[in-house]
Amino acid sequence: MAHHDHKPLTTDLIDLDHEPETKPEAIEQLLDLAVEAGRVTDREQALADLRAREAEATTGVGMGIGIPHAKSSAVTAPTIAFTRSSAGIDFDAMDDEPATLLFMLLVPAEGGEEHLQMLSSLSRSLMHEETRTALQEADSPERVESIILEAVE
Amino acid sequence: MIERTITVVPEDGLHARPASKVVTAANSYDSQVTIGPAGSDGVDAASMLAVTGLGVGPGDDVDITADGPDEADAVDELESILTTPEHDTEHTT
Repeated sequence: MAHHDHKPLTTDLIDLDHEPETKPEAIEQLLDLAVEAGRVTDREQALADLRAREAEATTGVGMGIGIPHAKSSAVTAPTIAFTRSSAGIDFDAMDDEPATLLFMLLVPAEGGEEHLQMLSSLSRSLMHEETRTALQEADSPERVESIILEAVE
Repeated sequence: MIERTITVVPEDGLHARPASKVVTAANSYDSQVTIGPAGSDGVDAASMLAVTGLGVGPGDDVDITADGPDEADAVDELESILTTPEHDTEHTT
């Protein structure tokens, strides 16, 4: 499989049409994008790994952002998925701000520290209000894709 | 203001539970607390997004600063979090 040459994010991993209403729903919806894109071999395993990470500490990092993530043997290639909530959902963030920008990061078990690099780059980029606003206002998956890929490069 | 350089011990580095503890601690003091790679500008230690963005791993040196009425306690608590191996805290929390 030449999955390793793939970009971590493609437009089929971006859903701007269905808004999750709860944190568990957001996690399942984002995971389904990765499953449908053929990047997950075992949905239940990946979900268990995501939930285990979430149980350790919330991935609601504040400033309206949720980044559930996991390193998982059920994942075939580094993957980012994205959706939004215009109303905002409770992501157990320490600043109590409802999350409106929802990301998922998945990497294969042998991925080393790759996922942490991706997570740090994305987080740094999201510190900038311009990035957050651009993602909130983006009106197409293509636009979202280019903003996020630029952020994690 | 107090500044202290600390080598990060928890195996997750500044991610997951250790990061969450640092942010919770920084939020519990009146002092302004920053954290960053040794020798460079720190970020607001009370922001999970900012701390996650640092990408600090185990074995990395970080500078912690605290400025305010309880700065000594703030730096002490952050040092304690960042120098305690994770498996030691697992059982006590």
